[in-house]
Amino acid sequence: MRVKRRLSLISIIYTMVTYLVGILFVFPVLWTVITGFKTESQAYSSSPLLWFEPTLHQFILALNGGFWGYFSNSLVASTVSTCLALILGIPCAYAMVFYMRRKQSKNLLFFVLSTRFMPFAAIIVPLYVIFKDLNLLNNIISLIVVYTSMNLPLVIWMSRSYFMDLPIEVLEASFLDGCSKWGTLLKVAIPMSSSGLTATALLSMVFAWNDFFFAVNLTFTNSSTLPIMVSSFMTNEQLFIAKVSALATLIIIIPVILGLYAQKHLVRGLTAGAIK
Amino acid sequence: MAYEEGQVSKIRKSKIHVPGIIYLIISTQIPFLYALWLSLHGWHLLEPYLGKPFVGFHNYYYELFKNPEFWMSIGKTGELVFGSLLLSLVGGTCLAIMLNRPFIGRNILRALILIPFLVTPSVSSIIWKNLMFNSNFGMVNWLFNVLHLPDVAWFSSIPLVSLIIITSWQWTPFFVLIVTAGLQSLPEEVVEASKVDGAGKLRTYIHIILPHLRNYYEAAILLGTIFVFQTFGKIYVATGGGPGSATTTLPFYTYQVAFIHWNIGHATTIGVFGVILAIIVANIMVRFLERDGGAQK
Repeated sequence: MRVKRRLSLISIIYTMVTYLVGILFVFPVLWTVITGFKTESQAYSSSPLLWFEPTLHQFILALNGGFWGYFSNSLVASTVSTCLALILGIPCAYAMVFYMRRKQSKNLLFFVLSTRFMPFAAIIVPLYVIFKDLNLLNNIISLIVVYTSMNLPLVIWMSRSYFMDLPIEVLEASFLDGCSKWGTLLKVAIPMSSSGLTATALLSMVFAWNDFFFAVNLTFTNSSTLPIMVSSFMTNEQLFIAKVSALATLIIIIPVILGLYAQKHLVRGLTAGAIK
Repeated sequence: MAYEEGQVSKIRKSKIHVPGIIYLIISTQIPFLYALWLSLHGWHLLEPYLGKPFVGFHNYYYELFKNPEFWMSIGKTGELVFGSLLLSLVGGTCLAIMLNRPFIGRNILRALILIPFLVTPSVSSIIWKNLMFNSNFGMVNWLFNVLHLPDVAWFSSIPLVSLIIITSWQWTPFFVLIVTAGLQSLPEEVVEASKVDGAGKLRTYIHIILPHLRNYYEAAILLGTIFVFQTFGKIYVATGGGPGSATTTLPFYTYQVAFIHWNIGHATTIGVFGVILAIIVANIMVRFLERDGGAQK
């Protein structure tokens, strides 16, 4: 009895240590959110100020400082590119699982992966020159094109791994019932793997939303996205810590919510389905 | 029962994958071929009257033998990738083990710990630079004062270390996820058996759990290398590659040569070296994985 009580005391301490470490780990994010509710002078306090009257002032300032233009660029670039990647990628994955010989499918998967793992720096200059010649520099279309090709491999390998999990009997039945391949894809395969495909879409949005490299190089002066907005904030108005915190909070809300919603599928998405 | 790839293919043929593959080829392979072509030419946008003369492998020769900055950027990239992955691996393993035992609110804590990975990388740099590492009101320096440790001027005195700290903070959740997946796939009986045989916690970990996790670590390191190699937004926002060239990694150096010096020939050459480096790393890793049977399925 006594041993058991001691054990549970140890386990309570262990749990508390786990909580402490976990909260310290996310502290930078928590602190940013808290600082966003402060006034500038409170934000500049040299010791951590925890009790203060929260104000929405910084958020209002951030929202009125050109936020919505950048926001709509971010939103359009990430949603449109995600939709395009899904439309192009899901049939790819479907054909790879159901219509290809194993060797062909493996080779194609290897090609798809290699395009995602190619350093972006290698193609940024040619892309810049091509978009410049096409008059698409500083145009949201260039970001949509690039994010689509960045997310297409993710969509292909994730949906491929979900399609491979489908029970064979149901698909056979659909084929025997005379369903065409598009019919089977749209009415059977996609609905049956909908939760995985939703997660795929969310992750693809997060990747596009969080991009900095392409946005800064292709659309710096016009039609740029939120990460560029907050970085220009830094260089111009370095002294407004509370305002920057409010803006940072507004920018990270979306990827954090989408990512947490899809968290069960994150491992599969990030490891190309090698680990489930 | 689930499908094996290629199971239905014997009867039916389909071309529905063609649009997606064509899109990938056009948007990635054509720019890359164009980069190869540009790298064989001299093209300086600030001196347009020089045109685009064919220079053969001169750009490659220049980067390899005449340009110490190029080699420095490769060194910095290596330090950033190695340092960040080492810290994330150790931190991620510790957190994953702590979170692997049942306790109240475990799922909430797991979700919380995932957040740094989802935060926009350039924003994470802003947060760390201003709210954590600032010498006047940064929380880290406040903590150092409380503990009577000397003040550290993070980004000016140890810029690369600061960058490694931020990067590993973002990538630790990735290792937590993968190590957790590994721990959860470990058969309970094996751990129990080792306990029955009288092995201590540490010995169980070293002899049973670690070998089991090996494949998961390898996958995490391979993917982590590929992704951390691409780090750009964090550097741009926190240091701009500086002070001097202290944090100028290969992608950032490519950016500087292309969009600050406007030397297209040299920038594309550096980019091509980036691809070669990525291929070498990926090949070493794949060999490493295949050495003894590879990842278990």
